[in-house]
Amino acid sequence: MEKITITIDGKTVEAIKDQPVLMAAKENGIDIPALCHHPELENSGGSCRVCLVEAIQGGRSRIVTSCNYPVRKGLEIRTDTEQVRNIRKGVIELLLCRVPDSEVIQNLAAKYGIKEPRFFTDEGESDRNKCIACSLCTQVCEDVVGVSAISMQNRGRDKAPGTPYHKDSSVCIGCGACAYACPTNAISMKDEKGVRKIWGKKFKMVACSVCGKPYIPEAQVNWIVRTTGKERSFFDKCPDHR
Amino acid sequence: MKAITSFEQLEGYREKIKASQKKDLPSVLICFGTGCQANGAVAVADAFQEEIVKKGLKVGVNIGLKTTGCHGYCENGPLVVLRPKDVLYLKVKPKDVPEIVEKSLQNDTIVERLIYKDVNTKETIAAYHEIPFYKYQKRIALRNIGNVDPKSIDDYILSDGYKGLAKALTMKPDDIIAEVEKSGLRGRGGGGFPAGTKWRSCRAVDSDVRYVMCNGDEGDPGAFMDRSIMEGDPHSVIEGMIIGGYAVGAKQGYIYVRDEYPLAVKNLQAALADARAFGFLGKSVLGTGFDFDIKISRGGGAFVCGESSALMRSLEGKVGEPRAKYIRSVEKGLYDKPSVLNNVETWGNIPVIMQNGAEWYASFGTKGSKGTKVFSLVGKVNNTGLVEVPMGITVRELVEKIGGGILGGKKFKAVQTGGPSGGCIPEAESDLPVDFDSLTAAGSMMGSGGIIVMDENTCMVDVAKYFIGFLVEESCGKCTPCRDGLPRMHKILSDITEGNGKEGDIATLEELCDVLTYAALCGLGSSAANPVHSTIRYFREEYEAHIRDKKCPAGVCKSLITYSIDASKCTGCTLCSKKCPQGCITGERKQAHVIDKSKCIKCGVCKDVCNFDAVRIE
Repeated sequence: MEKITITIDGKTVEAIKDQPVLMAAKENGIDIPALCHHPELENSGGSCRVCLVEAIQGGRSRIVTSCNYPVRKGLEIRTDTEQVRNIRKGVIELLLCRVPDSEVIQNLAAKYGIKEPRFFTDEGESDRNKCIACSLCTQVCEDVVGVSAISMQNRGRDKAPGTPYHKDSSVCIGCGACAYACPTNAISMKDEKGVRKIWGKKFKMVACSVCGKPYIPEAQVNWIVRTTGKERSFFDKCPDHR
Repeated sequence: MKAITSFEQLEGYREKIKASQKKDLPSVLICFGTGCQANGAVAVADAFQEEIVKKGLKVGVNIGLKTTGCHGYCENGPLVVLRPKDVLYLKVKPKDVPEIVEKSLQNDTIVERLIYKDVNTKETIAAYHEIPFYKYQKRIALRNIGNVDPKSIDDYILSDGYKGLAKALTMKPDDIIAEVEKSGLRGRGGGGFPAGTKWRSCRAVDSDVRYVMCNGDEGDPGAFMDRSIMEGDPHSVIEGMIIGGYAVGAKQGYIYVRDEYPLAVKNLQAALADARAFGFLGKSVLGTGFDFDIKISRGGGAFVCGESSALMRSLEGKVGEPRAKYIRSVEKGLYDKPSVLNNVETWGNIPVIMQNGAEWYASFGTKGSKGTKVFSLVGKVNNTGLVEVPMGITVRELVEKIGGGILGGKKFKAVQTGGPSGGCIPEAESDLPVDFDSLTAAGSMMGSGGIIVMDENTCMVDVAKYFIGFLVEESCGKCTPCRDGLPRMHKILSDITEGNGKEGDIATLEELCDVLTYAALCGLGSSAANPVHSTIRYFREEYEAHIRDKKCPAGVCKSLITYSIDASKCTGCTLCSKKCPQGCITGERKQAHVIDKSKCIKCGVCKDVCNFDAVRIE
């Protein structure tokens, strides 16, 4: 890991070569709003366009997404110029049009002084609810969990994650990683009476032998045991009582 | 066929087939491009075959007969060319064939009714190269199309095919790249990035594996340059890619063709099989020890897959979505390996650049844009089709000289260049040279080379709405500005054309344009604002007329126009009242007629049928 210095908003900071500018900024206490980037997912980001900044390199200035723009020598970043603010505000306004019911987007919009979007909103147009089509859920499912139970479907405005043909997925293990990764809480996951419901499918859950609380879907235990060779008895107790 | 394993063998083979050709044999060349086939070229070819036999003659002995790729003048198809006479017959039907054989092949006369007639001068022209549509062209990328049979590798070799490859294989890869750099060839797919520079960057990256790819995912409405090349001269693309593969150090090439081009796929497949059999592809190309092969990958029908990073993802078997290109494809492209992606036309130019040298190629075109460019000239011009001209020709020359001026003698209003995310250039700016930099400076772009000509009856707000509507449908939906911005833009434009435009709409559109230009992920999104931006820039008053005065000056937007009959011109011929589908035109014979505006659906039939120009649109 090669350490280099770059400038962010006039401040000289130390950063790791090739790391995303967003992470370098975060580590140095500079906040850039971002939705579709997850530090655990190498290829995430680049979709919501909220984390736009101005990057100046080699005398050339352009607007880039900080979540996947690599730190390189001599890089100068401006996160809060008038142009950056205006363009970012425009993007947030469009997101608010797409998911007017999302509290996350509402709060972000309020920060940028947007009260009401000027354009038509998508409410009630589909069942995609609060989804901003960032694809973090499908990436987690594929790259971290490794089951690919959901994928991004359709294109344009109709783009949204889902199981094949919107039917019960035969490979979903009910782990809920997609719901945890979702930046706008758009994926519905309910645990009730020892049963988890997600993507329209029900999963029986294993209860902790100490506290008796159902805490993990059986299918997930099976999956972990099969793919990692971990002892099944390990899952007898929930993380709090292991 | 035994594979050719040396340059001498290739030349020997070329001489052999040259010697077997009958010199000055009267020959018939039938265009077998997609357009001409759709117009009945297959039946015409069958008719020639039959008629020649009927006359007791033999194909190849007394009369030459072959089918070729597209001549570009598709609206007049099926096209038949006679050689060595250089006569072009238009709209040939099977029933015309006996007369052509008798008059023009067995005798030396012309079938007058089948030759070109200039709509402006009324002059008839028989000679192919004297017809204005062809006269001002300079065909380099299209050099063989219409001359060679795309299914015959012999025909390609006869036209000096694979000569450029043989020459390149004697050179050092770096010297080939230097030659391409010197030629000034810039990517023909739209980006206009210097091809040589791209190759050099790819070669410079340390890697065991590199790829070369051909982008044949041509998707702009009305554009068919690449289709025509893949269908009509597939070997030129293949030869270019082998040279490119050798120069950058790749062993594998891919041609990504959209699946809606079945003939292109078929002809490319046949050409690849032949090239393999001849030893131009496969192990040790031409006995040099260089291994190279090419596979075809068929697209799934998404416009965005013409974008380079989406194309590569699609080629890998993933969903065709673009990715951020902060790390370039020449470093990490297909399967994360250094890759060169060039467009069909770019590859097609390579063999001839190798063969004739960079200086020859650079002698055409302008300072910043060398060589020629193939354009698909469509819209309201008399001659439409594919044309190849030196870079730097003016828009006006294209429209007036090659296009033969505006249809029906109407006024020339604007051209739209560069495909759906290109821009509009008004008539007043039409002395602008057509090259990469001038078009970009004018707020449009070269794109892949689509040129749509518009006349005075075109509403520019409606044009912007059309292209934005196209892009709404084709947006992949990955990034917010394109996915959610374009539909909002489309809604505002629809409101304006429907008479619901508000003060401030132009400023709002401009704001949305900025969000798209600066914040969109890929080239499709970041250039998607061009149709709106350029029409506001040059035709702001037309937007204002729609918004403030609720009028459509071009008479296109139905909500803003009314039809009426000018009593001073109407002769009471009753034709319009008979043709009106609503039955809302009334009047006595020989008396001025009246339109009942409450029933009129503004279909325009009355205006179309009126012989006295009495129907007004306001």
